[in-house]
Amino acid sequence: MIPPPEINWFALLPLLVLGLGAAAVLLVDVQMKPHPKWLVRMAAAVLLATAAGALLQGWWLRRLEAGETVGTPLPFSGFLIVDRYAIFGTLLLAAIALLGLGAGQRFIVSLGRRAAEAIALVLLSTSGFMLMLSTPQLVMMFLGLEIGSISLYVVAGFSRQERQSEEAAIKYFLLGSFASAIFIYGVALVYAATGSLQLFEQQELLSRVAFVKPGVLLIGLALLIVGLAFKVTAAPFHGWAPDVYQGAPAGMVGFMAAAAKVGGFAALARIMATAFEGYIETWATVVAGIAVLSMIVGSFLAVVQSDFRRLLAYSGVAHAGFILTGIVAGEAGIGSIWFYLAVYTVQLVGAYAVVAAVSGASSAGSPLASYAGLAKRQPMLAHALTVLLLGMAGIPLTSGFIAKFGVFQDAFRAGFGWLVVVALLASVVSFFIYLRVIVTMYMEEPLEDRVLVLTVPLRLVLWTTLAMTVVFGLFPVPLLRLTAISLPL
Amino acid sequence: MLTALILLPAIGAVLIALVPGRRRELFLPLGVTMSIGPLALAAFVFTSFVTGEPGFQMVEREVWYEPWGLSWYLGIDGISLPLVALTALLVPIVLAASTAITHRLKEFVMYTLLLEAGLIGVFLALDLFLFFVFFEAILIPMYFIIGIWGGERRIYAAIKFFLYTAFGSALMLAAIIGLAVLSSRQTGVPSFAYTDLLDVSLNPTTARWLFGAFALAFAIKVPMFPLHTWLPDAHVEAPTAGSVLLAAVLLKLGTYGLVRFNLGLFPQASVDFVPVMAVLAVIGIVYGAVVAIVQPDLKKLVAYSSVSHLGFIVLGTFALTSGGLVGGLVQNINHGITTGALFLLVGMIYDRRHTKKIADFGGLAQVMPIFAGLFLFTTFASIGLPGLNGFIGEFMVLIGSFPSLPIYTIIAASGVVLAAIYLLWAYERAFTGVPDKPENQALLDLNLREKLVLAPLVILMLLLGLYPKVLLDRVQPSAEAILDRIEATTNYVVPEPGRLEHVLLMEEGE
Repeated sequence: MIPPPEINWFALLPLLVLGLGAAAVLLVDVQMKPHPKWLVRMAAAVLLATAAGALLQGWWLRRLEAGETVGTPLPFSGFLIVDRYAIFGTLLLAAIALLGLGAGQRFIVSLGRRAAEAIALVLLSTSGFMLMLSTPQLVMMFLGLEIGSISLYVVAGFSRQERQSEEAAIKYFLLGSFASAIFIYGVALVYAATGSLQLFEQQELLSRVAFVKPGVLLIGLALLIVGLAFKVTAAPFHGWAPDVYQGAPAGMVGFMAAAAKVGGFAALARIMATAFEGYIETWATVVAGIAVLSMIVGSFLAVVQSDFRRLLAYSGVAHAGFILTGIVAGEAGIGSIWFYLAVYTVQLVGAYAVVAAVSGASSAGSPLASYAGLAKRQPMLAHALTVLLLGMAGIPLTSGFIAKFGVFQDAFRAGFGWLVVVALLASVVSFFIYLRVIVTMYMEEPLEDRVLVLTVPLRLVLWTTLAMTVVFGLFPVPLLRLTAISLPL
Repeated sequence: MLTALILLPAIGAVLIALVPGRRRELFLPLGVTMSIGPLALAAFVFTSFVTGEPGFQMVEREVWYEPWGLSWYLGIDGISLPLVALTALLVPIVLAASTAITHRLKEFVMYTLLLEAGLIGVFLALDLFLFFVFFEAILIPMYFIIGIWGGERRIYAAIKFFLYTAFGSALMLAAIIGLAVLSSRQTGVPSFAYTDLLDVSLNPTTARWLFGAFALAFAIKVPMFPLHTWLPDAHVEAPTAGSVLLAAVLLKLGTYGLVRFNLGLFPQASVDFVPVMAVLAVIGIVYGAVVAIVQPDLKKLVAYSSVSHLGFIVLGTFALTSGGLVGGLVQNINHGITTGALFLLVGMIYDRRHTKKIADFGGLAQVMPIFAGLFLFTTFASIGLPGLNGFIGEFMVLIGSFPSLPIYTIIAASGVVLAAIYLLWAYERAFTGVPDKPENQALLDLNLREKLVLAPLVILMLLLGLYPKVLLDRVQPSAEAILDRIEATTNYVVPEPGRLEHVLLMEEGE
């Protein structure tokens, strides 16, 4: 008789909680038909439980390292991994989803009976990206990527009545699938070259065997980079982002952009910094090239945008470039990348929460003109957005400055001084973008005087993101220490 | 103690944030009260500063984040001490002078106090990371001060100011990171501390690049020709308080940085760059003065006169003689006091007439004798009349620079004459003659508050003119230490008559 496979429930804990939670939301909705806001609260509880699960794993990992307990951090024959890297990523994603639900609460409630689907999709997509960063196995990574992405395609098209939302969904789906195909092709080529799908085995193999002709491997790696660059909106693979983030429901865009960035960058850093660190000389130049292009394209194109959501999308391209600046440092840059991702994605969710408040939860398009005089119409929104934008610009005393400083420093240490100079000049250009929005909000007269209602969850999201931007700008050390130890195994 | 000097104004700003916005009449008195604390503390630091000691005093050093080598590292020496005192002195003055500001007064007072905290922080920081944080952070309050309470083209001026400075500091940040990376490669310990970075050994090419990046950031701040174009816009559009702080302190960040970082960290490159810096300084002196002559706007005239005066400071600094360097550092303070006073005076007449055009005035001396008297007095100080403060600094710069840069100094001396032309001519047009315009005939002279605002500055002009030793004793040892280091690490020799004793002897001999 075949013994039943040993299942490490503990390693599955966060994913399991999240998956079951998503199912439970749907079931509760069918059975009890509660008011949608109860479903949002339920989802928030699920996310908190997920985070608790991750913390529990962290506690277990610490005991394992101290030799107080037995077990393997690589359960399921190395298909999953429990390391500090995965735990930090899980916590970050849970936080983003929580903030994203808060920002999108008004939209979700307005969906009525379809609310449960939207909530379940957010939870599932979160679980997908969590899987993506807690596996050292390339096919599993692909699986996570697809779970996360496909859920997001649907979220993008959730305002079915609006053409722009439909367009966003179709565009996102087509181009996203294309990117996924490129990624999986890369996986296949890497497998062809090394004979393994497991990053640790590849690392081991590469340390023993010197490839005489590493052509196949390098093409595979290039495809992996391209596929992931697509997901994190790095130029020249960013073309879809402005359209999608402009058309998708305003309440959900923050989560969509943030979660995809965390998943994509976490996967990229894990692949490049663990298994293929030995080839860093080769791939770092390519990544540096993508970084330069992203920073320049993102910063300059953001200047000419007249729609605030497109502006944020292009600034996201520039930020992808800044984060890639940290990737070129290899393993030494991981702490800074985590710090940057944590800081930036939170600001992103906060900024899109303001968009949701200003331009209505579901309506597509948010011209900059509608932000004129926001400081007079709703000072809270204007103040919050100002701090968040200053944070994104990387002005000292905000968390964004520490984040930029971290990745730039790592890149400089890795010998990419020129890249740092380009990055710093690009960030001066990006100052202009953010200043323009601030000027619009404070120094121009409002065009309309519609009263802007702030729901309680939205206020919470704004205060949280604002507080994090300032607190981690003034006292970054605790988060710096945490990210510095959140390394892959 | 130095930490308290930075935190006090910041705490003041936070306390003001807690006061309900309805009580408008409270904010200016409250702001002045909050800034008296830092002033008292600065006065205490100034008096307890040990003269004759070249190194850093009252040093505070706490590790902040050791993997990156960041520390909370503060200290004060003869170069930064007068600037800190000047900042602390001017903030209560400009707040007391800001009665013309009526809307969003609370935020105005908060931003001014935050600006003060940032400015003091810049001068005290000895960790380059910390320095950069303060250097860049002051842009935000200044941006809002210009952008919210400024004149008609305030938004344009605010953005121009912000982008110019941010561009310079971006390259400086790259240089700071680069220098720290080199240091950690050489010592194995990451550090951004000024005192550690002094020991980095650089090859000449790298040093020149790093020098260039720092110099660009500071040259924009000074501003040196041809990077000065943001200054007239920012000055003209800024409210009085903004103009005063901009001219008196923010510009000094540039000259302070050139001395502290460019001369301090890159001695060889400094020697190599002397011709470039001297040429630009002299062009600035003459160009600023010539352009000032033709300005129809009183505020713009003072702004261009700053370009000219700051040129003297840079010339003195890069003359690499102790006369020039000490003269430049002293002139930093003198220019802060006199130009600050000039902007306050222009602000006072603007509050009455809502115009700054010289042509709109005329014969003011008959209507406002006290105002005219104070204006003339400040003008004399600015021109450098012996016995007033402006004379000491300019004279020392010229005498000190002559031994090493004779030609430049001769050309620069024309700036003194030009200053007399543009300021006295402006005075003549605005104040002398008969008040023929009806709007000017009913103007009220200065009230008690305005007299009180100007009093400390006028007293200082006289005091520093007659007894500059208060300043010289404190500045000289630190400045000489920088020159000694340049002499020790390069084969540059400070020309003999350039030593300060010589200059002072000549001065007494006159």
